[in-house]
Amino acid sequence: MDRPIAYDKLAREDRFVRMRAREVAELKVSQGLPPFPDLSSAESIKERVHGIMVGELQAMEGAGRSVCDFPDAPWEFTMDMARQVWDESRHVEIYLRLLDHLGGYAGEFPETTILWRCACAEDAAARVAGVNRGLEGLACDVFNQLVHIARKIGDPVLERAVDFVLADEITHVRMGSKWLTKLTEGDAERRRRAIEFQENIDERFNLGGVRREGDHDAVSISIATDVRRLAGFTEEEIERLIKTTQRSQVY
Amino acid sequence: MRALGGWIALTPELSAKLLMGRHVWDLAQHCDAFGRRLPELRAHAQESESANPSIATFMDAIEEPEAPDQTMERLVGVYSVLKPHLRAIYREHLARANPVYEPPTRRILTRCIEDETRHIVAGGEILGHLRGTAAAKERARVHQARLDGLLAAAGGVAGDGMPSSPLTSVEPLPADLSDDAREFIRLEAATGTWPVPAGLHDALTGFAAALVARDSKALSHWLAPGVAISDVAWETLCAADYAGHKVVAFARLGHQHLVKTRLDGSAGSVVVLTRWTSAADGWRVAALDVLARDPRPA
Repeated sequence: MDRPIAYDKLAREDRFVRMRAREVAELKVSQGLPPFPDLSSAESIKERVHGIMVGELQAMEGAGRSVCDFPDAPWEFTMDMARQVWDESRHVEIYLRLLDHLGGYAGEFPETTILWRCACAEDAAARVAGVNRGLEGLACDVFNQLVHIARKIGDPVLERAVDFVLADEITHVRMGSKWLTKLTEGDAERRRRAIEFQENIDERFNLGGVRREGDHDAVSISIATDVRRLAGFTEEEIERLIKTTQRSQVY
Repeated sequence: MRALGGWIALTPELSAKLLMGRHVWDLAQHCDAFGRRLPELRAHAQESESANPSIATFMDAIEEPEAPDQTMERLVGVYSVLKPHLRAIYREHLARANPVYEPPTRRILTRCIEDETRHIVAGGEILGHLRGTAAAKERARVHQARLDGLLAAAGGVAGDGMPSSPLTSVEPLPADLSDDAREFIRLEAATGTWPVPAGLHDALTGFAAALVARDSKALSHWLAPGVAISDVAWETLCAADYAGHKVVAFARLGHQHLVKTRLDGSAGSVVVLTRWTSAADGWRVAALDVLARDPRPA
């Protein structure tokens, strides 16, 4: 088996339409719509949930590749990645059911593969930094806000389901922090590259100022500072993330 | 475990992805339990090696099918050959393991047998779902026969002979004890009919009929001003004859729709991706792309 695989080998059923994130955003803006679903209507909540479902799918696929691609990594690393595969597979099931609950279907919106491409990093340390800390950190922000919105609109199914998934994501961030440290012990250059990769991902997913500090109702993606603390991000890291959102380029 | 983990990304079908995703963690725990038991039996922890080179050949053959259309071969290798064999080996080992001296091993084996039984049932369910055509069934049969032969030639995974009773058949489990693969299939099939607006439905049908006929004049009627079919796309379309068409994806992008239409014929199929926008004179194609052509009949 090829290890790792080229990112364009990601397999999908025909019903999914794959597009570049930038193209999706530009086409929506050209129609006078916000580039990313802003949770202001039932339709935009459904679109956000679809985006998360696809993200969970790619997270499952990415964690699966980490089990496969690094046979020489410490066994405990493989165990954590295997556990993450199972978690992500349950998340896919949960979000497929939530889509059903919201009257949507898999393939209703285009799929972008930026998450998967991050999961194709060749170095295990970069992969856990980028995926577990960068992307799962983003998931903490998005899910925390979705729980709040669900509570506000009186949808206990959405609220509880996403809250349980959020608990898993916090665990995945912790795993990422643990393995970033362990895999780069005694190798400052490798650690620097992995953190740089994560920061690059953080920057991309600030989405041109869509993610920022602020009230759930006031910003499209609100940085979940409390949840991030729980997940093990330091105050310095949270502060740096907030600062980067203030100078983020349009994605 | 590593093969299943790696295959999730290479497998298109949602039901098969969910099946593998569910089982990777179970298998990691099996490996972990056996690996931890090894030093208690005066061997190195978490170390593994093939019993003989033929086992490595068998495992390589299991891992071989990586193409998107080889999901069935992947599942047959793991769920119809390897897992039933492992289950039989575990059962024989359990029967031989002394209940006074070897309870730690017996506990591990009991758990693994239970999990493998659950996996085999779920895998069989998904295989039954995927085995559509007679040709697909034949492909699965040939692949299984080849793997069975390699496994027997290696003397089983332990290299010391095949189990005396292979126990290939497994009784169905109650739903709450199984992985309920039927739910994976339901989730995969949840998209009933596409919510295509009435006006767009007629446009899609007319456009697809023009594609099948390669009628450039009729096609141009559906294209928005400034949109043209590229020479490369036209050549791909003209590479074979098509007899029918089917919408295989229907997505929304704001007020526009993304539609994949598959054209099928005896010489293969091709998928055309179009973006439709509503104009004053009805729905029109704002962008068109011909995706990869599959030379095999659908």
